[in-house]
Amino acid sequence: MTVTTEGRPRGAATDAAGAASGGRLPGAVAAEWTKAWTVRSTWWNLLGAAVLMGLACLQLAIFTVNANENDDPADDKGVVGAGTIAIGAVDLVQFVLIGLAMLLITSEYSTGTIRATLQWIPRRGEVLAAKTLVVAVIGGLAGIVLAAAGSLAALPLLGHWGEFEFPAWLGDVLAVGVYMSVIGVFSLGVGALLRSAVGTLIVIFLIVLVVPASLQASGITAMERVADFLPAVAGAAFMRGESDAYPPVLGLLILAAWAAAALAAGHVALNRRDA
Amino acid sequence: MITLSGLTKRYGGTTAVADLSLKIEPGLVTGFLGPNGAGKSTTMRMIMGLDEPTAGTALVSGRRYAEFRHPLREVGALLEAESVHPGRGARNHLLAMARSNGIPRRRVDEVLAKVGLTDVAGKRAGAYSLGMSQRLGIAGALLGDPPVLMFDEPVNGLDPDGVRWVRELMRSLAAGGRTVFVSSHLMSEMELTADRLVVIGKGRLIADAPIAEILAGSSRHRVKVRGPHPEGLRQLAGHLTRQGVTAEMVSPRELLLSGTTVEPVGELAHRLGLLLHELSPQEATLEQAYMELTAGSVEFAASQEETR
Repeated sequence: MTVTTEGRPRGAATDAAGAASGGRLPGAVAAEWTKAWTVRSTWWNLLGAAVLMGLACLQLAIFTVNANENDDPADDKGVVGAGTIAIGAVDLVQFVLIGLAMLLITSEYSTGTIRATLQWIPRRGEVLAAKTLVVAVIGGLAGIVLAAAGSLAALPLLGHWGEFEFPAWLGDVLAVGVYMSVIGVFSLGVGALLRSAVGTLIVIFLIVLVVPASLQASGITAMERVADFLPAVAGAAFMRGESDAYPPVLGLLILAAWAAAALAAGHVALNRRDA
Repeated sequence: MITLSGLTKRYGGTTAVADLSLKIEPGLVTGFLGPNGAGKSTTMRMIMGLDEPTAGTALVSGRRYAEFRHPLREVGALLEAESVHPGRGARNHLLAMARSNGIPRRRVDEVLAKVGLTDVAGKRAGAYSLGMSQRLGIAGALLGDPPVLMFDEPVNGLDPDGVRWVRELMRSLAAGGRTVFVSSHLMSEMELTADRLVVIGKGRLIADAPIAEILAGSSRHRVKVRGPHPEGLRQLAGHLTRQGVTAEMVSPRELLLSGTTVEPVGELAHRLGLLLHELSPQEATLEQAYMELTAGSVEFAASQEETR
């Protein structure tokens, strides 16, 4: 092996060929984007989400048809929009995308990569902002593509019980994208706060699934009202465009408030702790 | 140039780094030595903005690390080899790194070639040997072509070829006018690589001097005497001891003397008519000088242990 002495003692910052571009937030976003697509977990999660979305949509379509055609008139759903099938599948599929979002920060702690990341981008707010942007974009696009594909796949199974009205369908599909984007950011915030993948997943499971389900099953009105203010319930109200408690737009605001709070807590933790 | 002033880091009740003030100059390889837990890594992490100092400042080229728009173009550091995602290959790791600081893509291939990882750049880092991880870390430090470089134990896990390569790399970086700050446990390696040494113990500065000065300051300058007649050597030792020289019979045919030089020993041997096979000055090694310097802080640790 030979060693060649590189010329100037000054850094590449003054190198004409490497003109001072990038860096700061755009640089941080470019780095996070590159990192997200150069680990297998991202691809596996997306593949898993696609498979799960397909299966869930087919299953929900079959359920809908059965409910309409059995002898019990109480469970009749009537004619449903294709997009609502995809919205129903979100309950399940979201956990795969939550995993994707959360891994973008928790895997950095479990592998020590966070120390490298903070050397590249020492202003920690920029690291979190860049990750937020990447998660929001991936979650949003994945939500839209998966919801579109899943609902279209369900349509033939629904037969005359399904309807496809483009504006309504587009609205549903976009709503799934928005929901996936925001719940992903929420998960990222929790991940930044807790650092461990297992801890993050447990907390998210509790907040998204277990706590609202037990509150709603309690039969006590006050508790059901509390459940309305949890992120997944608020998100469902937003996507379905119906809720006894509040208008859909408020559902989105409640969901966004959870994401903002999680991010803020994650930001404080990231700033305070030594890496 | 790295400037530390009053740099202090406390974790709860324990002080990892205590009021450390020093300047690490460009154009030199500065070795950073100290026993385990002396605070070397903590100091480097504070310079890199990873740990927040409890008091004092660590500046690189006069600025705090976090103030740089493109920090990788100002400071390159190998801190821990295991800060690479095991599922990501060397090229993708360096590519993300380059993008974060607006470093041209061609630099990635340049540094990969420089550290000899081109052939395995697509393989997952989790499959790398310790030596390959070390090389990847060094590639990362060089990526931004920075004027200041820091390496924490860079030769860990490298084969003799790799050790020599790192030594030549450090020397050439310093020769090019860069600031090179290297920690190591290998004294013999430091002796060959460093121009200047910073020694800390228990988080405090013990020495900050050119390597020659540290070696000369050691009391371990000795004189070795070897001869075929054990009785005659014992006689010589007896005479010298009475003159205040410390004599140690290493074997029946070998004496080690301290507190004297070869000339008076040679004259005395001649007067005694003693046949010698060797009479030579023994230079202190860096390891000996280092042991003497840090003895205080190590003893302090041991006695503290006992009083608990």
